Amino acid sequence: MHFLEKELNQLIQFWDEEPDALHTLRSSAFKQYKEVGLPNRKWEGWQFTDFSTLEKTSYRLASHGDLPPVQETLPTITNCNRILIINGNFQENFSVLPDKVTVQTLQHAYATNPEIFNKAVVDNSNPFHNLNTALMNSGLAIIVENNAVIDHPIHILYYTTGLTDPVMNNPLFLIVAGADTETTIIEHYAGATNVQYWQNVVTNIELSNNAVLNHTRIQEEDHNGSHIADTVYSLGKDAQLNAFHFASGSSLYRQNIQVNLASSGASSMVNGLCIAKDHQHLDQHIIINHLKENCNSNQLFKYILSDTSAGVFNGRVIVSEGAQKTDAQQTTRNLLLTDKAMAHSNPQLEIYADDVKCSHGSTTGQLDENALFYLRSRGIDVRTAQLLLISGFAKEVMETITNTNIDTYIDEKLTTWLENIGVTL
Amino acid sequence: MLQIKNLHVEVEDKKILNGIDLHIKAGEMHAIMGLNGSGKSTLSNTVTGRENYTVTEGDILYNNESILDWKPEDRALAGIFMSFQYPTVIPGVNTTYFLRAAVNAKRKHNNRKEYDAANFLKFIKSKLEEVEMDTAYLKRSVNEGFSGGEKKRNEILPILTLEPALAILDETDSGLDIDALKIVAAGVNKYLRDDRAIVIITHYQRILKYLEADYVHVLINGKIAKSGGENLAEQLEEKGYSWLDN
Repeated sequence: MHFLEKELNQLIQFWDEEPDALHTLRSSAFKQYKEVGLPNRKWEGWQFTDFSTLEKTSYRLASHGDLPPVQETLPTITNCNRILIINGNFQENFSVLPDKVTVQTLQHAYATNPEIFNKAVVDNSNPFHNLNTALMNSGLAIIVENNAVIDHPIHILYYTTGLTDPVMNNPLFLIVAGADTETTIIEHYAGATNVQYWQNVVTNIELSNNAVLNHTRIQEEDHNGSHIADTVYSLGKDAQLNAFHFASGSSLYRQNIQVNLASSGASSMVNGLCIAKDHQHLDQHIIINHLKENCNSNQLFKYILSDTSAGVFNGRVIVSEGAQKTDAQQTTRNLLLTDKAMAHSNPQLEIYADDVKCSHGSTTGQLDENALFYLRSRGIDVRTAQLLLISGFAKEVMETITNTNIDTYIDEKLTTWLENIGVTL
Repeated sequence: MLQIKNLHVEVEDKKILNGIDLHIKAGEMHAIMGLNGSGKSTLSNTVTGRENYTVTEGDILYNNESILDWKPEDRALAGIFMSFQYPTVIPGVNTTYFLRAAVNAKRKHNNRKEYDAANFLKFIKSKLEEVEMDTAYLKRSVNEGFSGGEKKRNEILPILTLEPALAILDETDSGLDIDALKIVAAGVNKYLRDDRAIVIITHYQRILKYLEADYVHVLINGKIAKSGGENLAEQLEEKGYSWLDN
């Protein structure tokens, strides 16, 4: 991808305020990216997704100039602090930041606190991650002070709009939840544009000892968008992660999620709902690393697939030798609404400790004919009956969203989505 | 009200009903008795329009109109109701929401104003009292977590809420203890009027002790082997189904 190299050189040349160390980091990450290139279908763990479309368009990196007037109403979630980013540009004046939370641009964070970058940059198992390190041009460091209880969720809205030529953004979010904190963060991607764009996101989230973090990720990019993401969580002692990943947008979506249960007593719940139509391709790979004893992890992922869309779920739970008393549960369920929709599910368990409780399960099916007839035999028309059953399918996972305002937001998205959806099975 | 004429039905290429004739008039209660596999449930599923029950011969007339091409929901809105022998559990679909959707579909069909949430709650609570059901059940998913008896009472509830003209009760008595049976029977008796009809489908004569059926039909191998008055049920109880086998 020649255009990316050009973008990198421009970035290094013109971003004068960046320290040399950062330039070196970018160059070496790009070199590593170039050695392997984009994943192809022969790669283990990448075989269900075709990334070649990304090479067919010459994207340029978004810059400070990409700030058109925003015509449309921005998505809002009630009762939240807000961080607004338009086409990669942090809009501090339109952001509402809570006390006890430090928000810094990447340049600022690198100048004052470079060590928080260490774990977040360069990952040779994922070329997109290396590309992000090379080209990181937006994103923020968000640090929650020790002992802070943040009352209202921090809603990060990353909005793409009004593009005139194909644009790429490489956001890097470095989130640190200090010890004994309680925080809810919504990482929200949305867009409205007639031009193709590509988001290549890395989010690194660290939960210090005893931190409780609710992380909701909402991906509802425009269908002209491709969204690639690598989300990495590291949990300290007795830390508790409740994550919910909702995805309904973009034509091409691939997210890698990694949860490192790095100290004893940590627990993670990582759930998700993916809804897809038309030719959308939504692919998620999840790795839960049980590294220490007495940790537990729960996963529940649901996919609702219509038209000719495809959903991929690859979930791997790895229990290391020392991780005794691990409790790990993993479930994935796919609902196919047409006979052309496709689901690939691959739950995996790798266990190297003997005193553990682990389970996994995967189902793929259509709407239950008996349930459909039951509802219709009570006078409910077939369309209403189908929608009732689809919402019912989503409910089990929707119920795990504890914040009512977030739940309401996603529920409304689901309801609107369902109004236009085709069901032929 | 309902006329079944020479009805032949196949399910997955297997012949189940082999020429049923039945005429049910308004104000009547009919009981259809038979052993497992005699075709009782096939008959009720066919009348209510379930897919994969293929009518190969004959006709079903409802108020003198053939309903073979009607969708299940259209039959329901026209007043045909069937209680399920095994009510389908529907996880994630809230009972109140489901009941309200059904009642409002009917009200819309009758050009009446649909209930909002508050009005519906008032309405449904009064109906729950009639079948001695706890309102806590409204918060559950449809048919989830019920005991056997609760499930059956739940199947009687729509008779009171949807007020169908023709109610087909499929094995409503099986699995009920005597107290629940009495409540169900009382509900059924209260429901019957000159402009309504009831079909009780049952294996046993037990529920007929609490209900006054005008006609009893015995179904064997997909055909009505014998029809008669209520004493037919008593004879059947005494002599067993083998009495009619030949």
